Amino acid sequence: MFEDIPVDVSPMHEGERIRAAKMFVEFAGPKSIGAELIQVEEDVQDGSIEVLGPELTEMTQGENYPFGISVKIQGEKLEKELEGVIERRIHELSNYVKGFMHLNQRDQIWCRVSQEAHEAGFTLSHFGKALSILLKEDFPLIENIAVTIITEESEVKLFLETARSAYDYRDARARELSDEDVDVFYGCTMCQSFAPTHVCVVTPDRTALCGAINWFDCRAAARMDPEGPIFELEKGEVIDSEKGEYSNVNATVSEKSQGTTERVYLHSLFEYPHTSCGCFEAVAFYIPELDGIGLVNRDFRGQTPLGIPFSTMAGQCSGGKQVEGFTGLSIEYMKSPKFLQADGGYQRIIWMPLELKESLREFIPEDLYDKIPTEENAESIKDIRKYLRENEHPIMERLSQTKDSNEETTEITELDAPSDFTEWEDDTTPVAYLPEMSVPGSDGVRIILKNARVYAEKVIIKKERK
Amino acid sequence: MIIAVSGKGGTGKTLVSSLLIKSIRGKGRDILAIDADPDSNLPEALGIQVDRTVGDIREELKKDTAQGNLPTDANKWDILDYKIMESIIETPEFDLLVMGRPEGSGCYCAVNNILRKIIETISQNYDYIIIDTEAGLEHLSRRTTQNVDVMLVVTDPSKRGILTAKRIEELSDELDISFKNMYLVLNRVKPQNESVILEKVKEIKLDIAGTIYEDELIENYDMEGEPLINLPEDSQAVESVSQIIEDYLMR
Repeated sequence: MFEDIPVDVSPMHEGERIRAAKMFVEFAGPKSIGAELIQVEEDVQDGSIEVLGPELTEMTQGENYPFGISVKIQGEKLEKELEGVIERRIHELSNYVKGFMHLNQRDQIWCRVSQEAHEAGFTLSHFGKALSILLKEDFPLIENIAVTIITEESEVKLFLETARSAYDYRDARARELSDEDVDVFYGCTMCQSFAPTHVCVVTPDRTALCGAINWFDCRAAARMDPEGPIFELEKGEVIDSEKGEYSNVNATVSEKSQGTTERVYLHSLFEYPHTSCGCFEAVAFYIPELDGIGLVNRDFRGQTPLGIPFSTMAGQCSGGKQVEGFTGLSIEYMKSPKFLQADGGYQRIIWMPLELKESLREFIPEDLYDKIPTEENAESIKDIRKYLRENEHPIMERLSQTKDSNEETTEITELDAPSDFTEWEDDTTPVAYLPEMSVPGSDGVRIILKNARVYAEKVIIKKERK
Repeated sequence: MIIAVSGKGGTGKTLVSSLLIKSIRGKGRDILAIDADPDSNLPEALGIQVDRTVGDIREELKKDTAQGNLPTDANKWDILDYKIMESIIETPEFDLLVMGRPEGSGCYCAVNNILRKIIETISQNYDYIIIDTEAGLEHLSRRTTQNVDVMLVVTDPSKRGILTAKRIEELSDELDISFKNMYLVLNRVKPQNESVILEKVKEIKLDIAGTIYEDELIENYDMEGEPLINLPEDSQAVESVSQIIEDYLMR
């Protein structure tokens, strides 16, 4: 198949880097311009390989040249939506060619040809040919394929413009990608070295808690490093699309957490929230007095309305625990339309640091933006309540409704705090804040306090003599 | 072959690393030097100016992610791959990768994991990889030097230097990290004290690969900031390191 190509073409050459000392020429990269683009078209002349501009034989050793890889494909079942996916394969497939190095994608590619390949008689049209064969082999949907390699600077510039508008179009679509559009989510157990039961579930709508990796990153990582900590997770049957509960997510999380966490709601803070590792960018926390949710990011150094700073809160809900009313999350997730959707999304947010709020300006519903207090407006529950009332935050309506419709009790043994509890609230700081604690009871009764705060008139710390 | 040079800070890790590169270069071998010590000055010892380290790349990526500067369907793997390649300083005789400062606040597990894989892939393209490790023992406990073939532990005659060398040897044993070979390199030895030092280092259960004697010329190079790689061929240090290569590091 590759007999008229003078260098070996095989997956074993993937990962080959051509050092400056051994290269013949360099294309695109930091010192020049370039791009690659795959376009689905109606009329494609199969097998056409063209080089627009100088061939390798006309180039000077050690120089940089602009570079365009333009691939046109046609097939009965080929859709425009597949362009991006197929284009992503150019990187891997190009690297099958011994003596050809290809890095990155889109208008950020960087290629090199080795001296050895050049001496063997390798040309850019050989490259185009290898690429067209490999792409066709990889995607049987492609019926006709034509490759044009562009090295003429003015042509590359024109090509860049075409390519960039195609990328913009694709980006806009990718931003719209949501959990419903895919069958596969990704799991990540990278943090299990210190949170042994934590499993991160990464979906198009929910980036990893650390904010470092999104669904696209995971897709790449799972392919590049199949034995690694990031793995494919078929989402399975939808149990509750609002809360974000999926049969196979439950099963996989249960398996990978050694049975510790059996159910996960991807988009809720209540009942079965996503567990937290230790390195989340932010925490969402329930404020029971106001039945609302607060947000705090890692960079915020002050106190939260719960009377504790981020660091303390992080300590209480990290380590792979599932703590109702608390979840670690990424800032990117706060930009998702599914952000805590089961709980009411931003309608339910009643406090967040100013810096975080400003960074999310475009994503917080406009009519709510000024109704959510920050540390500038309120620091205590009492002041938050006042602010919410004065600014007519929707939570106030919710609060009055819950009071009317008599408390719903989810567990028989669960007792809500007295309704006048909230009135008793004042500015003092609790000496302990416990998202959940058990108090040993007698006669087989276990008393569980949720979101408990311990206030004390005096705290005495004594060192015991041995 | 992956060679790691470890030891307490200031004992001469960078001297040994740069002389290893000096002796291996020019023989048609592909060499990658990795400066993994945030406090070291391997680039200076090699006479190279560095603009961008892996640490800088990590911070740039974090910033770009936070500000939403990255294309939606781009993946960080490819972006990091490109940036790492870009940060490698390529000279005709060897390439240099500088790890730079350790991470700031926030979580870097994911990024570090990707970086480690990328550097592993890049490393496969070289015949010799010489790592100037961070001072102390972190690289052992964090297992960043797990795949090393030969570990050279450098010590000077100071009590602390010897103590660190001993702990490196013990820790690698405890952590069950198998370096195929682990040797001691003595540096800054005064000939008149050599027998005393040899006695002292006996408690470190490692063979001595070579000895570098105290040398005024090296002190002058250090003082003037002259690249150590330019030390003359007939300097005892250069000869000693060449001998180490011949005896222990030839494939």
